[in-house]
Amino acid sequence: MRNGIPAAALSEFVNEVRDTPHEAVMDYGINITWESGTRSHVEAKPMHVGGHRVSRKFSWKADEPRQLMGTNHAANPQELLLSGLGACMMVSFLAGASAKGIQIETLEIDFEASLDLRGFMGIEANSAVGFPEIQYTIHVTGDASAEAFETLHRASVVHSPNAQTILNQVALKGAIVSTSI
Amino acid sequence: MTTSNTTRGDASSQSPLSPGINWLSDLKRSRKPGPFFGEAQHTWSGASTCAVHAGSSDDPRTGAVGTPIYQSSTFLLEDDQYNSIHDGYARDRFIYARYGNPSQWAVQQKLAALEGAESAIVFSSGMAAITTAVLSFMDKGAHVVASKELYGGTYNLFNQELPSLDMSATLVDPRDFDAIEAAIQPNTQILYFEAITNPLLTVVDIPKIVEIAKKHSLRVIIDATFATPIGLRCLELGVDIVVHSASKYLNGHSDLIAGVVLGSRKLIDQVWPRMLTYGGSLDPHASFLLERGLKTLAIRMKAHQDSAFALATYLEQHPAIERVFYPLLPSHPDHAIAQRLLDNATGNVTFVVRGGDGAALALLKALRLPKQATSLGGVESLISLPFNSSQAGFTQQQRVEMGILPGTVRLSVGIEDATDLIADFKQALGQMTDQTETTHA
Repeated sequence: MRNGIPAAALSEFVNEVRDTPHEAVMDYGINITWESGTRSHVEAKPMHVGGHRVSRKFSWKADEPRQLMGTNHAANPQELLLSGLGACMMVSFLAGASAKGIQIETLEIDFEASLDLRGFMGIEANSAVGFPEIQYTIHVTGDASAEAFETLHRASVVHSPNAQTILNQVALKGAIVSTSI
Repeated sequence: MTTSNTTRGDASSQSPLSPGINWLSDLKRSRKPGPFFGEAQHTWSGASTCAVHAGSSDDPRTGAVGTPIYQSSTFLLEDDQYNSIHDGYARDRFIYARYGNPSQWAVQQKLAALEGAESAIVFSSGMAAITTAVLSFMDKGAHVVASKELYGGTYNLFNQELPSLDMSATLVDPRDFDAIEAAIQPNTQILYFEAITNPLLTVVDIPKIVEIAKKHSLRVIIDATFATPIGLRCLELGVDIVVHSASKYLNGHSDLIAGVVLGSRKLIDQVWPRMLTYGGSLDPHASFLLERGLKTLAIRMKAHQDSAFALATYLEQHPAIERVFYPLLPSHPDHAIAQRLLDNATGNVTFVVRGGDGAALALLKALRLPKQATSLGGVESLISLPFNSSQAGFTQQQRVEMGILPGTVRLSVGIEDATDLIADFKQALGQMTDQTETTHA
């Protein structure tokens, strides 16, 4: 099976969604709990795939390095953000390659990004709080031309949910439930 | 090297890939029922017509009537087979007998037609079918809500194996819908019930189970072994997956071990890779036997029901019998559900002999027609006692709590004539009465 993805099933899913759009609706959730200092514990909540419940017994931690008052026990929130972006771009790239019949031999995406903590600290009004830029390089080998890989690259970013979430404004709707003690 | 101009498999299944695909939206292959030999799936109105003709084919080379037995472990590979592997539709081609073979396809098509399913996979046993189906729809950490009245093998899967796989089950009264709903957890993925339970023949209200499942976004798997598709078409009631031990009524001749999983093509395609991994595929000769046995399913089920109902009616009025469980008897707790759901009842009758397990054992020894053996659904009547066979692992108190009273007898009524069965029970129960009178004299 090319790239470990069944192209026939992928095609059938695409055309099922064309006929029954609710099968394309994915509901996700995570729950994050403070452990200590900058360290937190994250658990995936049950996912709904086209209205069908899927158990997700996965958990991970987030932390900051000691220099940022943490204990350096886990990847930090920015690294987790980049990994979520990169993993999504990789799925998109592989799905597109499989649909086009391209056999991938190796695939690696390298990410780098810098941010200025003065924004977080609030000591420089003109400094962006978040990443002003994210740089990545895709290293791929497979049975397609450089031109075909570039076309696939562009299409995969255009169709990557996480890349598009970062590129486009997204509503962040929050609430707080507080208990005063 | 032999080359072929025709597709070896389902000719309607072709590669999704073509020139000019820029993104997923350009993919055109849609899901279709099958895999079948490429002939149109007939829809006959009669179950027997379906049972005789669906899936069966005559040998094109010799004209021999009936599906040949393709006793081969492997098949010639050409570009078409290689492409099917690369492009993800290998289930639709013949490659290796464990993946699928013509003898399996014939019986799968017949079973799918009988059940009203888009797709079916036969297995080397009912438990292979059940285990593969359940694990296909359970993810890491998942939970199943199931009936507390379960076949022992299924109970062992839930009780002994799921915890080892970091999964769990909650077993509930199949008549208590509040308890079923209360048992659902955030990680629950499946509701699993037997359409008619063993040995008390509880008839589960499947539409109600389906309603609860839809409310909570769960899948429903039903073991319909005791009901068969002649008695109950589960998929039409909204069930996602139907499993059967085909060793019982489906084959009907007590001469093979097999199982089957049926449902939509989408869901059965998810079962198929698990079948490949777990390995419970049915061999070609057993597939042939099952296909042959199925041809008489509808008339056998009618005969089972007629003899079972006549015998149950006779036993219910006999003074040596304390209680009879048979869904068509008005005294059965689920009589109304059975009348609403079942087109044909099962051939199983469960009854309680006065005097406990000792008296029941004496009855079995005095009977001449039913054979003392486990299993069910064969043309010959089979009789056994739960206390020393299917429920031997439980204490008497546990059996009583499950509703299995001392003296409970499990009888699978064959297709013998009711007059002969009743005469045999009359003489056997008469011997017991004579012995009781002698003892008391």
